[in-house]
Amino acid sequence: MAMTHRLHSSSCRVLLSLAVISAAAAACKPKATAPSERAEILIGATLPLTGAEARIGGFFKEGYELAFDEVNQQGGLEVGGKQRPVKLQLDDDTTNQATAVSLADKLINSDKVDFLLGTYSTALVEAQTTVAEQNKVPYVNGGGAASEIYQRGYRYIFGALSPVELLGTTLMTWIDEQQRAGKLPRPSKIALLWENTSHGKDFRKGVSAYAGKRAGGYEIAVDESFELGGKDFGALLGKVKAAGADVFLVDAHLPDYLTMHRQYLDAGLCHKVVSYGARGSEQAAIDALGADHVTYVLSGVWWNAQLADTIPLARKFVEAFKAKYGGRTPEWFQALGYEAARALFTAIRQAGSTDREAVRAKLAALRIDSLLPGGTLAFSAAHGGAAQNAFVVQQNLPDGSAPIIFPRDVAKVAGVAPSPRCTP
Amino acid sequence: MARLLDMGLSAVLLAGLYATMAYGLGLIYGVLRVVNLAHGGVLMAGAYLGFCLHERFGIDPYLSLPIVAAAGFALGVVLYQGLVRRIPRGAAGGPASLLLLFGVWLVLRNLAYLVFTGNDRTIRTAYVASSVAIGGSHVSVNRLIVLGISAVIAVALHVLLRRTQIGRAIRAVAQNADSCTLAGIDVHRVYALSFGLGTALSGVAGVLLATIFSFNPSSGSSELLKSFVVVVLGGLGSISGVALAALLVATAEVFAILILPAYLTTAVGFLLLVLVLVVRPGGLFGHRVLS
Repeated sequence: MAMTHRLHSSSCRVLLSLAVISAAAAACKPKATAPSERAEILIGATLPLTGAEARIGGFFKEGYELAFDEVNQQGGLEVGGKQRPVKLQLDDDTTNQATAVSLADKLINSDKVDFLLGTYSTALVEAQTTVAEQNKVPYVNGGGAASEIYQRGYRYIFGALSPVELLGTTLMTWIDEQQRAGKLPRPSKIALLWENTSHGKDFRKGVSAYAGKRAGGYEIAVDESFELGGKDFGALLGKVKAAGADVFLVDAHLPDYLTMHRQYLDAGLCHKVVSYGARGSEQAAIDALGADHVTYVLSGVWWNAQLADTIPLARKFVEAFKAKYGGRTPEWFQALGYEAARALFTAIRQAGSTDREAVRAKLAALRIDSLLPGGTLAFSAAHGGAAQNAFVVQQNLPDGSAPIIFPRDVAKVAGVAPSPRCTP
Repeated sequence: MARLLDMGLSAVLLAGLYATMAYGLGLIYGVLRVVNLAHGGVLMAGAYLGFCLHERFGIDPYLSLPIVAAAGFALGVVLYQGLVRRIPRGAAGGPASLLLLFGVWLVLRNLAYLVFTGNDRTIRTAYVASSVAIGGSHVSVNRLIVLGISAVIAVALHVLLRRTQIGRAIRAVAQNADSCTLAGIDVHRVYALSFGLGTALSGVAGVLLATIFSFNPSSGSSELLKSFVVVVLGGLGSISGVALAALLVATAEVFAILILPAYLTTAVGFLLLVLVLVVRPGGLFGHRVLS
């Protein structure tokens, strides 16, 4: 009994101490300033700065910081006749959906940010956008590509990243050109493998829809999905081998691409056209597999620094990025982060205020010159606020380069088909 | 027919991989009755150690296995003496050991993030995409080596446990630790050796995995899950059961593609686990081969 009493009184002391510490901490915490009282425009964002996507989260941070620096170096954004600096309130969502959601809530309701920029990866963006929509805060992202994000009837969500479905369509358009030129058989048999995620489903949709429209042009001989982080694709590749396909199209993230392509090579497989969707041209894959083993692989990406030769804003961005980051060449991650921030700044400037409804309306009607393929950025209302810029297709060549081969207006060289690796 | 041969070979190679992943977990459970949740973290740490030895010193990953095994053994002994030993033995220590070893995994993972960042890494050797033809099928050299090493580990463990004094002590402690204490066996020394050996095996498995797959600090969770399925199917604490269960799981997963969509094949192992737990709760191959 005495022991129970001691336990209770010690628990009470601990609780009381905690309460005092919490109260003191709350008193010491700087109070969030109401948006109307602030001189600067506060824009909140979370990024995966640690965890599985830390590398890419860091890339997006570079893009955001460059965009903010540029505006502030010019004295800020002109809003309602006044120059107002912009400030980025950036938190680390640790590549975790729950954290991304709770931090978005904190940014809106505790930090009182005016607007939100997006995090990276479809899964995090999909979860986080719900909070932005519920609070009616305009949310511009360059890191969520699945069409599911934009098919929920949300009004405050805008995406600079074109849906993955378009990646499938763009790859098929190039393949179709080769077929029309007599370089690929008609009909061509396609082996289509896709990761069992909204990303993969979008890719499949793009390829299947295109193949379906070209009557007699294509036969999808294998149409299979696989789980992320697979350890063995032997059986699946056995199915591909048995199908005798001409074209091998896969949508995979980097680890699965590396595992699958190693097994592909081990199995002695070879196809006239090989693509792993957005994978293939990155240095990490070349380091892992060896340049010889990824030759002639096609990849479709949202942006590439080679666009600097044909799109003025892309050139300006690449130069500014190199100047800020020690001569490094940016990848699409930094470009999309930068472009998302730039789109939001433009909408704020056009709205002439930080009123969220006014900025949302300007984002919905936005049409600006862009560094993205096509040179223009607009958030298509017909696609739930997702941009619809084309992808650029690159091909790994034996000299180690990966030039853009499609679309033609930005292509550096003509692509090679069928792959000489398969030519006896 | 050629496709079935391909699939058969694929199953055997995959079994080698699964068995290698599961030996460490199986040994530690068999002797200490502790589910080593740090197994995934040790696999990941082994992969990074192999990676560093290859990148910094140009040591072939297979030649680095003794170094990784020694480092893993030392880590295991330190973990046991510093942490695991303090947990009550038996059922009372179950939840504590799970939490403790999960914490160790989190520490290892975050250390890896700190040192190596979240980037995917691979160990690329000159034979990364080499294969040999067997009966008209192409078989990866890397996977053949992994299979060979898995077989060597199984035989070595068998010899160690059956033919050596320390092996007999391990088996005795696994059977009845209290009686061993009465008979003058230093039980904690045997536990430390077993934990060290299990951790060394996990580290070695990490290097072998890294020769086939890319990895990052988050790697290890799916491997832990698969190892757990194999160990439970084989009969907790059974080393030869682990090898047989690995073959069973791999065969079921590979041949499942004949009747199931590819994305469901990884679930076949878990389905097998549920079925076996219902029919034979002690696992397919008895309770404890160590006994």
